[in-house]
Amino acid sequence: MTDTTDFEAKRDIADIAVERYKQGRLTRRGFVAAMGALGILPALNSKAFAQANEIVVVNWGGTAKDVLQEVLCDTYTELTGIPVVVDGSGPSAGKIRAMVESGAVVWDLCDSGAGSAIILEQQGVTQPIDYSIVDKSKVLEGTAYNNGVGNYVYSYVLATNPKLLGGNVPQNWADVWNTKDFPGMRTFRKSVRGMLESATMAQGVPLAEVYDVLGTDEGIKAGIAKFRELRENIIVWGSGSDSQNLFLQEEVAIGNIWSTRAHLLKDQMDEGSFNVSFNGGVIAPGIWVVPKDNPAGTEEVMKFIAHGQKPELQVKWLEMIGSGPINPEAAPLVPAELAPWNPSSPENLATQILYKDEWYAKNQVSAEEMYVDALIN
Amino acid sequence: MPLSTFRIFFQTGAWLIVAFLVLPLLVVVPVSLTDTSYIGLPKEHLSLQHYVNYFNSPEWLHATWTSIWIGLVVATCASALGTSFAIGCWFLSDKASAIARWVLITPILVPPVVQSLGFYRFWVKLGLIDTSAGVILAHTLLALPYVSISVFAALANLDRNIPRAARSLGASVWQTVLAVIVPAAKPGILTGFVFAFIVSFDEIVGVLFITVRRVTTLPKQIWEGIQDNIDPTIAAVATLLVILTLIVTAIGALRRT
Amino acid sequence: MFRNSDKMRYWALILPALAIMVTFYIFPVLGIWEIAFTEPTTGVGNFVQMAESSAVRTSFILTFRVAAITTLGCLILGYVVAYAISNFAGKLTPLMLALVILPFWVSVLIRSFSWIVLLGRSGLVNDTLRDTGLIDSPLRLMHNEFGVLVAMIHVMLPFAILPMLTNMRGISDAYVKAARGLGASEWTAFRQVYFPQTVPGVMSGALLVFVLSLGFYVTPALLGGGRVLMISEYITYQIQEFLNWGLGSALSVALLIATALVLLIAARFVNLRSALLERK
Repeated sequence: MTDTTDFEAKRDIADIAVERYKQGRLTRRGFVAAMGALGILPALNSKAFAQANEIVVVNWGGTAKDVLQEVLCDTYTELTGIPVVVDGSGPSAGKIRAMVESGAVVWDLCDSGAGSAIILEQQGVTQPIDYSIVDKSKVLEGTAYNNGVGNYVYSYVLATNPKLLGGNVPQNWADVWNTKDFPGMRTFRKSVRGMLESATMAQGVPLAEVYDVLGTDEGIKAGIAKFRELRENIIVWGSGSDSQNLFLQEEVAIGNIWSTRAHLLKDQMDEGSFNVSFNGGVIAPGIWVVPKDNPAGTEEVMKFIAHGQKPELQVKWLEMIGSGPINPEAAPLVPAELAPWNPSSPENLATQILYKDEWYAKNQVSAEEMYVDALIN
Repeated sequence: MPLSTFRIFFQTGAWLIVAFLVLPLLVVVPVSLTDTSYIGLPKEHLSLQHYVNYFNSPEWLHATWTSIWIGLVVATCASALGTSFAIGCWFLSDKASAIARWVLITPILVPPVVQSLGFYRFWVKLGLIDTSAGVILAHTLLALPYVSISVFAALANLDRNIPRAARSLGASVWQTVLAVIVPAAKPGILTGFVFAFIVSFDEIVGVLFITVRRVTTLPKQIWEGIQDNIDPTIAAVATLLVILTLIVTAIGALRRT
Repeated sequence: MFRNSDKMRYWALILPALAIMVTFYIFPVLGIWEIAFTEPTTGVGNFVQMAESSAVRTSFILTFRVAAITTLGCLILGYVVAYAISNFAGKLTPLMLALVILPFWVSVLIRSFSWIVLLGRSGLVNDTLRDTGLIDSPLRLMHNEFGVLVAMIHVMLPFAILPMLTNMRGISDAYVKAARGLGASEWTAFRQVYFPQTVPGVMSGALLVFVLSLGFYVTPALLGGGRVLMISEYITYQIQEFLNWGLGSALSVALLIATALVLLIAARFVNLRSALLERK
């Protein structure tokens, strides 16, 4: 089984936070809260914790690491007296396993993905989530695993530039494939993640049946064929900011991009030149995992996770960075003008499917290869 | 000489092509003066904000300084090693030394991505990943071919009888090298030094593989700028570098004439 | 000829550089071969996968095509410049030479960045064309093979010009003069007398540009829009996106072998020694 955790997506979210922080759009408190909701910092102002010696939370770093260390950990220590070290070295499944097997565990909480969480559980190197402390009802359905629990969500969404399209905006993926009525360049990710789903929906497959269709070889081939058909109109994005650039430079009029980047673009683009539809979106969760024998102890970490579920923190974080609350209770607290941009609002959830890690574990490698071939051949 | 179509063709053609070579380098100038926060031409007025940003940004300044000092160390190491190598080969001028010279220029021929993979795996074993020492070592290897080629070229015109005369007058090998060969090779060593510095200063693919966060060179900062953040500071940096190159080239040209 | 002890001393001068090169360069590059045959399992699995993959085949064809077109473009453009510099003595000739060498000192990264600025949809070229009313909607100049080729020719051009210049400088004008004296036109004298003498320089330039283009990474990665996936980019894609070191290494080995084959074939037409070893 391959590790299907989307490292790039993880790094991207941390990068957005730092970018905003630098632009001065995110206050220090907001930044701290956002990071807390992101799960990088489990809690603020909380007296719920017994004194742990130190808590080590591991994320995907990027430029976020140093800022986290300076701004976030020190503040947290001020509030609770518990030193928190953020390690940005990327808790890949391989590293977690190696650490547990070597018996020298220094990580307490890792920001992982569903694919990794499942593998790690099978390999017996992570701890079960204590659902008497962590509230199962406070995460989206399908993101509470035995040994892992959702911490935030982001979506693959249909982004458009109405100005470039002359006001005629694609409403669904079938429209995206219609180059006659919707001329212009499109951008898709340099990977099948979240992309093959849209190509499948473009063939008229209903939301609920997408992964059933993709479960067959013909289904995958049909999706790939759609990309081959469209490829003269495709520019590929490699990183989240890549996709952002393509819209900003007006290189593309339509794209399948992360909702987190769309959130930034809505503020950066001129009025009326950026639009997002969650119709046919693919929503993906980040997953917390706790390595076995973590130094701070099971209970401390569970309290951390529970604290990160607080709706107000999650909403704050949506406002600041654009990633969606994993806690359904947060939706009503979201300001009205932000609700359409929230990947996990009830309205948006209804039109999206949950990213299926099991499918990726089984099919990703061969699908990627066909995808590249379709785009360049 | 009369102007024939033949001449007009080559003359105009050549200038057009030179324009194609040089003009694109200058487009970074207007972009660097943009008042927008993304890469584009100035919209309403010219602005120096991206230069201000560069000179106020610890990341950019640190990356610049890192590239300069690493470049200088690399140029020094590569010049010393490469000069010694070329002099040894010049003396021997046999089959074995010719093979050695071929070995030394392999970095010119091996694709950058391939050699960087090799570096990465080996540097992991040596614990050199994300260290300045790791970058210096890699860049020294990449710069060695240029130094050895230019020193060897400088020695090509040296009369072999001169060192022989020195030896027959009782000078040791080392004395001969230092007193006769090195002075003759000096222009080549200087060229090699400059080449080595530039190789290190501009190198990107290797750095992308063997550094993570702790070491950031200027090209890496630019690369990440193009790939990650939408930041016209890159245009400001590019403008500064292009202007610097222009000045240095102009000084070089003036000194020659 | 030498005393043995002298020979030892000369080798002592050679050895430090040679030892470092072998230990820290040759050895790690050979290590890639080992990875290709051992990860994830021992055997030729990676090569089988590679041979069966039509994406890899396409990428190789694309790589060779881009390298070939780049080489051809550089030779034609480079020849004109080299010819003008070496044959038309004028006040501006040194300036032209300086301008040819200038881009050499500006990093490939910055030159590629310039092309992004120029060729983008709302880049300088499109804006100018639109402002002057020549086009209504922007042209697609970037994120395709065209953009990659333009930028690559720009980057590689000096590599083609310099060997040709070296060669042309060594050509005596006596032959052309003689041909002209015998009544040949300027074109005829050029074609039949001058050009044949420049073929070695052309070949050296071609070899250099072609070999460098085969392994090129930066420009295609930045201007290709992900769809001009040359082998070098494909390798990094495998490793960075999928941590697939085995296939990435196998592709590297294939690229190394391809480069070596090109050099071997070129050795029949080009004096490799003067093209590479005694480059100026």
